Order: sequence, then C-alpha cells, then structure tokens
Amino acid sequence: MNSFTSRLNSLFAFTLSVMAALTFGCFLSTVLNDHLRPVQLSVGKVSVKNVPDYSADRDRSDLGFITFDLFTDLSPLYNWNVKMLFLYLTAEYKTKDHDLNQVVLWDKIVKRGENTILDFRKTNTKYYFWDYGNGLKGNENVTLSLRWNVIPNAGTLPNVKGLGSQVIRFPDQYTAGRF
Amino acid sequence: MDYILPYVPESIKSIPTHMDFDGQKRAERYFQIIILAFAAVGFACGYITQFFSHTVYILFAGVIISSLLTLFPWSTYRKQPLAWQPARSADGKSPAPAVTGGSQSKGKKKKLKD
Repeated sequence: MNSFTSRLNSLFAFTLSVMAALTFGCFLSTVLNDHLRPVQLSVGKVSVKNVPDYSADRDRSDLGFITFDLFTDLSPLYNWNVKMLFLYLTAEYKTKDHDLNQVVLWDKIVKRGENTILDFRKTNTKYYFWDYGNGLKGNENVTLSLRWNVIPNAGTLPNVKGLGSQVIRFPDQYTAGRF
Repeated sequence: MDYILPYVPESIKSIPTHMDFDGQKRAERYFQIIILAFAAVGFACGYITQFFSHTVYILFAGVIISSLLTLFPWSTYRKQPLAWQPARSADGKSPAPAVTGGSQSKGKKKKLKD
C-alpha cells in the first residue's frame, strides 16, 4: 500500500472477490426454482415413409412426418439469472429393437427480453424424423413433448420437460408419393 | 521517466506521493467499506429490478468513487508521519540529546562511505 500501483492492485483484487461473491449470491437467489410451465401441444398431419437414409446405412428406414401446434407462455421462467432458454421439441417412443428412442424435431432459442409467448400453428418440423430401422410404422405411442434447457448467468443448466405432452399414432401403412 | 526528469518543473517534482502507514491502513479500510457498501446496495437493486447488470454497474460506480478517494496520495493520508530521529552530523555525533527514550540503546549509526 505504499505506492499507487500496489494500492491499485489491492483494490482490483478486492473488487474481483466481491464480484465473485455477488455472482454466487445471484445463483443462490434462484437455486430453488423448478422452471416448470404448462405447454399445449397437438399434431395435424401424421404420416410415415420408408426410404433409404443416405447419411446412415443405406438400408430403408422409417421417416416420419408431422405438423404440430404449440402454445405456451414462458415469461415466469425468466429472472435475473436466466440469459436464455434453449427450447427443443422431442418425440420419444419404444421400438422392438430399442427401448428408448428420442428424436429432436424442432428447436428455438428465446433470449431474455424477446417475446416469450409461443403460438405456433401447423408448423413443420425443423429436422427429419428418422428412425433407426422400421419402428415408426404402426407405432401407437410416440410422445411429443417440449423441453427447455435453462442457460443461467451463474449456476447449473438444467434440462426441464414442460407440463403437457401429446401422443402421436403413426399409421399402419406407408405413404406413397410426396408428403 | 529518467529522460524527462530533468525537464519536469520543481513545483511538480515536489508534490508528495507517499502515504503514512496510518494513512495506508485508513485508505485500505475506506475502499473496502465503500466497495462492500456499493456491492450490497447493488445486489438489492439488481434483485428488485431482476437485472444482474444493474448490480455490476452500481458496483463499478463504487469502484470508481473509492479509487478517486483512496488511490491518490491525498494529504489526509499524511497526517501521522513517523517520528524519525534527528539527523546526525558527519562525525557520528548527534547535535542534541535524543528526545525519545530507548534511542540510546541503538548505538552509533553506520555511515555509508562515499
């Protein structure tokens, strides 16, 4: 503390420690949140084709096709410790080869400050609904649910499933021609 | 710095830049208290408005204020100078008996040979 630079060093180090403590306090203030919100999901067209997947084995695999409706209000999830939510729409189902299959069909990033009321009608999926094999035809229990990953300013990044899902039944016949 | 030293006017060279030990202690105490106070206020404001950026901005304001008050060698930090012994003449004898007790036991000061 006997020169300008030593005082500056001391003050700077103290400031960094204080800022770390404030950040930890910000984390503590939101650690008990459950990040749950109700979600309304429904589907429109549902069809499945059996086509070769050229990015995989070149065997014919099932390719599902759906259009969906989504409505939810995510505004209570945002607080001073949330930078953004990474939303993703998943389809989960069981086939005779694999007990659990999860496919992400659509995703969206909603940053803090952007519109948090989501209202999508008859929306196409962003990503292809490939199955490893032929497990979609006639599958009666494909569950569509909206999940989100909470990206905080400080702390853990939990993956949370929204309250509300939609069960899809795929038809017993493959659809010929274009979707 | 050494190149410009001969050109710096005496009025600037004579500005004191040191702090007493007591001044250093007070300066450190002052900036710790100021920064902690702004941190507490900033945390409360950030929690109320739910923006962590507000907390950081208020903390930075506290850092700037405490820097201005404690980093520079203001004269209030020189109010308790050390009680040095009176200077001795070249042959090692002090000009007058020492004022404070205990200095007699220090013995003769070593002189640096030029």
